[in-house]
Amino acid sequence: MAGLPLYVLLCSGEHEKVQMAAMIASVGAVSDRPVEVFVSMGALAIFAKAAPAEGRYHGGAFARLMREKGAPDALNLLHQGRELGELKVWACSMALDLHGWEVDDLVEGMFDGALGLTSFLSDAESGQLVTL
Amino acid sequence: MSERHKVDARGAYCPGPLMELIATLRHCAIGDEVEMWSTDTGSATDIPAWVKKARHELVGVSQEGDHWAIIVRKAH
Repeated sequence: MAGLPLYVLLCSGEHEKVQMAAMIASVGAVSDRPVEVFVSMGALAIFAKAAPAEGRYHGGAFARLMREKGAPDALNLLHQGRELGELKVWACSMALDLHGWEVDDLVEGMFDGALGLTSFLSDAESGQLVTL
Repeated sequence: MSERHKVDARGAYCPGPLMELIATLRHCAIGDEVEMWSTDTGSATDIPAWVKKARHELVGVSQEGDHWAIIVRKAH
């Protein structure tokens, strides 16, 4: 039987928070919990197709440490979570509008589509909401 | 006849070893074992916790020199 659904609201583009969101989402998904991630605000730019592989992430001292030591890449973790578990990722329609982007402008194979906050919050009533 | 698959995840950080274990189990037959090597300290407790939740079988956890050896049998 699947566990309580987990909803992750990712707003920050700070590497440490993006990493934590990716860890929570991927581990949750492989632990038999349906997971949905809603990417909004400054976090959306991390997922831009055009973002350079080097320099995609920005953060503090811990982010530097993660890069130096080779911590798992946050986007790869999300891809793995999608492959191995029940993980959906939504792009905030408002953040897309502000950037002038479509879902096609985001990293391939990552997003299930665009979604509004109202729909996400409504869905999140059925589970546990984590905000980063 | 069941097989043992070795996964060397030494040097990978959390949750890398767990994700590698799950990806390997996915391609194993029921009854096969996966021997995971990890230098990530959390693996010694996190992987057994996941194995229990996922209802597989933990064959053993031991510290072998610089790494942990965690053996899991695919139960379903």
